[in-house]
Amino acid sequence: MAQEMIEGINPTRMELLKLKDREKLAVKGYSLLKEKRNALIMEFFNILERVKGSRQIVEENLQEAFDDLTEAQIIMGDLAVNKASLSVKESIEMDIDSRSIMGVVVPVVEYSSPQRSMVDRGYGFVDTSVKLDEAAKKFEESLSLIIELGEIEKTIILLAAEIESTKRRVNALENIIIPRLENTVKHIEMRLEEMERENFVRLKVIKKAMERE
Amino acid sequence: MTSSIAVVADADTVVGFRLGGIKQGYVVETTEEAEEALTKLIKENTSIIIITEKIGDELREVIEKFTKSSALPIIIEIPDKYGSAERTADPMMELIKRVIGVEMVK
Repeated sequence: MAQEMIEGINPTRMELLKLKDREKLAVKGYSLLKEKRNALIMEFFNILERVKGSRQIVEENLQEAFDDLTEAQIIMGDLAVNKASLSVKESIEMDIDSRSIMGVVVPVVEYSSPQRSMVDRGYGFVDTSVKLDEAAKKFEESLSLIIELGEIEKTIILLAAEIESTKRRVNALENIIIPRLENTVKHIEMRLEEMERENFVRLKVIKKAMERE
Repeated sequence: MTSSIAVVADADTVVGFRLGGIKQGYVVETTEEAEEALTKLIKENTSIIIITEKIGDELREVIEKFTKSSALPIIIEIPDKYGSAERTADPMMELIKRVIGVEMVK
């Protein structure tokens, strides 16, 4: 194994103490980050459970809605449908909040879709067809599904980005920074011991020389 | 927090969602128009933007720039009236695969 070390460090006791502190900090940070990563992944799996299949449901719902819309267009004509659609009142009542999962801010959408009757929608009845009502109803339904799906997908995207960066940091600490610090500490300790032995020998030689005189 | 929702899509989809009760609908024909409408909506702090998958594929980079970093806006891609495009890769599945390392859902 290549003994990678931090460059340009003097083998002194001062540096040794400093390095040991840094190593302690790195190990602590490593274990914290590892816990964060695990918690994030757990959260990620929970959300994956929710997203399962909900895209298909949305797509099926929308398909039905589009079919009805096309039928309405066939019966009433494009122009009349456009006209009716412009007079539909706004139906959305939603509140966007955010919550934090391990420091990742994700949106929480509170959405209430009021069950509207034909009268509430706001277009006239004289020149509209039943199919238009059905299409409008289907679109309202799919809208609430879409909003829910959007919230989940957004959460997944944000969590995924955070997991990736945390993973990278954990790996960097585990494979590069901590081994490097350990190697440097070991190197300095060995140098210091070596210097001590040298000194010991030197003293002995001097002592012998003095005795001979 | 004021929340608003908008649709950027082809004519039929916009009509559909108008019926469903979204007032802000932008009919776009070309990629440039779509990008313009999208940037404008994001600047106005629209919370939820619904676009079609076709636009989503064309403007992938623009969208990723906004969705990766912050909680809002939420950009949702839906299939248009011709149904879901046969995609070579679902961006969601790709993402999950990259993070977990194996294919999980489905």
